[in-house]
Amino acid sequence: MSAVLQNLVNQPYKHGFVTDIESEVAPKGLSEETIHLISAKKNEPEWLLDFRLRAYQKWLTMSEPDWQNVHYPKIDFQSISYYAAPKPKEKLSSMDEVDPELIRTFEKLGVPMHERAALAGVAVDVVFDSVSVATTYKEKLAEVGIIFCSISEAVQKHPELIKQYLGTVVPVGDNFFAALNSAVFTDGSFCYIPKGVKCPMDLSTYFRINTEGSGQFERTLVIAEEGASVSYLEGCTAPQFDTNQLHAAVVELIALDNADIKYSTVQNWYAGDENGIGGIYNFVTKRGLAKGVNSRISWTQVETGSAITWKYPSCILRGDNSVGEFYSVAVTNHLQQADTGTKMIHLGKNTRSTIVSKGISAGRSNSSYRGLVRINPTADNARNFSQCDSMLVGDQSGAHTFPYIQVRNNSAKVEHEASTSKIGEDQLFYFAQRGIDAEEAVSMIVNGFCKEVFQQLPMEFAVEATKLLSFKLEGSVG
Amino acid sequence: MSELVSNDYLECLLKSLSIQSEGISSLGAPANNQSAWLKQLRKQAIDRAGQLRLPTIKDEAWRFTDISPLAKLPFKPAQALHTLKLSDIQSFFIEETNNRLVFIDGFFAPEFSGITDKEQLIIGNLPSLIESHASLVASHLAQHAQYHDNIFTALNTAFVHDGAVIIVPKNAVAAAPVHLLFIATQKETTNYPRCLIVGEANSQVTLIEDYVSLQNDAYVTNSVTECYLAPNAQVQHIRIQRENTDAYHLANCAVSLDHASRYQAVNVSFGAQISRHNLDVGFKAETGECAIDGLTIITDGQLADTHSCIDHIKPNCTSRQQHKCIADDAAHAVFNGNIIVRPGAQRTDSSQSSRNLLLSGTAQIDTKPQLEIFADDVKCAHGATVGQLDNEEIFYLKSRGLSELAARNLLTYAFGAEILNRIPLASLKHSLEQIVLNQTQSSR
Repeated sequence: MSAVLQNLVNQPYKHGFVTDIESEVAPKGLSEETIHLISAKKNEPEWLLDFRLRAYQKWLTMSEPDWQNVHYPKIDFQSISYYAAPKPKEKLSSMDEVDPELIRTFEKLGVPMHERAALAGVAVDVVFDSVSVATTYKEKLAEVGIIFCSISEAVQKHPELIKQYLGTVVPVGDNFFAALNSAVFTDGSFCYIPKGVKCPMDLSTYFRINTEGSGQFERTLVIAEEGASVSYLEGCTAPQFDTNQLHAAVVELIALDNADIKYSTVQNWYAGDENGIGGIYNFVTKRGLAKGVNSRISWTQVETGSAITWKYPSCILRGDNSVGEFYSVAVTNHLQQADTGTKMIHLGKNTRSTIVSKGISAGRSNSSYRGLVRINPTADNARNFSQCDSMLVGDQSGAHTFPYIQVRNNSAKVEHEASTSKIGEDQLFYFAQRGIDAEEAVSMIVNGFCKEVFQQLPMEFAVEATKLLSFKLEGSVG
Repeated sequence: MSELVSNDYLECLLKSLSIQSEGISSLGAPANNQSAWLKQLRKQAIDRAGQLRLPTIKDEAWRFTDISPLAKLPFKPAQALHTLKLSDIQSFFIEETNNRLVFIDGFFAPEFSGITDKEQLIIGNLPSLIESHASLVASHLAQHAQYHDNIFTALNTAFVHDGAVIIVPKNAVAAAPVHLLFIATQKETTNYPRCLIVGEANSQVTLIEDYVSLQNDAYVTNSVTECYLAPNAQVQHIRIQRENTDAYHLANCAVSLDHASRYQAVNVSFGAQISRHNLDVGFKAETGECAIDGLTIITDGQLADTHSCIDHIKPNCTSRQQHKCIADDAAHAVFNGNIIVRPGAQRTDSSQSSRNLLLSGTAQIDTKPQLEIFADDVKCAHGATVGQLDNEEIFYLKSRGLSELAARNLLTYAFGAEILNRIPLASLKHSLEQIVLNQTQSSR
């Protein structure tokens, strides 16, 4: 690989800065007391404390998984602070009251919240170190009966919904990190779309990890009632720190009859420097339950950040004729590691799923696709199509594919295909011939490679994702 | 992996091993015939087997293959006694060749064996070849099939006393194929077939490794085959497993390919209650080629598991793999195909396809074609499909006057025939086709 490409990737992380807001940080370590403290701080009802304690008990009996194709030093769960909230202020009624520090941070991120919210018509539920600080457009959504708020607010105002659905898709003991999250989650987003309502705008949250050394344990719950539809966006950036930070979020989606949930993620957390120092550990459990007939759950993700990305947004297709989709682009550079993919569990009749996964590895990074397609005996006429393509940039990167296909019903049709390729010298030469330099050529080739996925993203995200990819791969090809 | 889980199967075997290791092998060759290196090898394998445990479904590589029924059976090693007559086994012979080594329960049966191509081939059972070609055998035996993390290879190596050794000397081209016939006659025993194939530079050979049974009770076959191909050597390796449907068949096959050598394999699996075939191919030098085809046809409660690993260690090698499974009734077919492209193995060209046909609602398929790629200038593709017979194809045949049943049988047969057509021996191909036809027809 030529020097041109080498130079292109080595740009420093552009979103690295620390906002100085006084955090209220719980003492480090995890114990029943910590959980009581979190629960008390958040003024939670008894049943939620029980839920947390149950998860904690379960967590104690579990051991950290080691089957994944990622490597990292052992995490000391007792040296993490499990609660960090920006210092409580009196309730905010308008954007002017938001801490100017915070506003500046968002501006640096290129997210002028008030403008963006107003101009783009996007309601932004700002999550800043786990606690929701400002929520906009709530009234507009409330008019049609949509509840969109932080999960701690929802616990206070709509406990019956939380009680009914929390932990039903990802049970407390589902896996090591989901159990940990269930025990100590501090905040997150909650979204409820009532029967027959099509959400009038894309809902979006911004996640940002700020206080150094504090893990972030987000909990997201999206419920679409019969005939409802929603498009939910999640975008992430994080400041530059040297100590590794653990992020173990849980996202649960529930789609009832004829409901439609589209969940899009652009993830660009700090990935560590070129020697693999620092960076976020992104260990997330995301799962959608297509519970009703004709329901649809669609995951789209663009994963460019984090030292380690390890997640499998999944669909449980329980309702007859339900549809699951997974579109993913994972870009790794330097020493980043990604082990991502999806699980499509077909339970209902005539269920369909589509998987399109694009992995791009540059530098000394490794990316893996790990996916499961399971057709249960009850899933008559189930259909799956999977496509996993990998692109290698430079001869020190690795790309891996681990597709599990389990078929228990003979009326099912399952197809999987995968390929691996690289950006060839002849392709670059062709561009050069046409007067396009290597950097731009790489960006165009990569964007072409990912086009199928980008098409699934809402417009503003698609633009951001295209840019992100070009940043990310700057200097990696040549 | 180091803890020893107690279970009858392993205990029984290890006990018989400890008796053996004192006055080594009262079974095969007399004790003084075994050279020091072989004693050493067996001792190491015995020690290793003692440290390993039987895999369970909690081990990733055995997730779908539950061998716990095997672990409950106290199967002893088979003994060298048989009362077979030529007429009993003649039906297994292949008419195209008289190069034949017959092993009964893992023991060489010279009375049924014979070699016509004595000039071109150095061939015989393990003890006799150890005498005549000690250094060559020593430099390859247990050098390709690693027993350190595989309990079954370790057990086989620990029990190694007999086996087939085929050495194709430099520039030799074997005129006729070599038929290695392994017959199981004793129930509730374990037999340990072992094969070593060394293709020296520029040599060519075709061999058939054939596993059959002459009784209908449960037993265990634990076979290990090692194959080394020197520069420019060619080996065509046909492996047929048609044991009875109560048998357990555990096979490990390791192939090492040197510069510009070519390895072609056809693996056909019909039999056994539970069968597991591990095939490891390693490219040890550049420009090697391998083509591996597999066909599994199972029915009733059979389980057939194929795990292959094609390891591109060096650049400029080509591999192609196609594996097909047909599962009927409550059968369960497993395929795990791993392709590794090591750092620096540039210009690797590798393709793999796993195609699976489910004939009944209770049959199961688990397939996992796996790619691990650490080099950028490579061409790697894999694909997997699982499905049933295509209704449009059936309709087409029906429109030509075939009955529904005939159309289904024809399509099922054609699905498998693609693999069988790669077998170069007409009579063998024909007899296997008959098995496929019988199986596809009796099933409905």
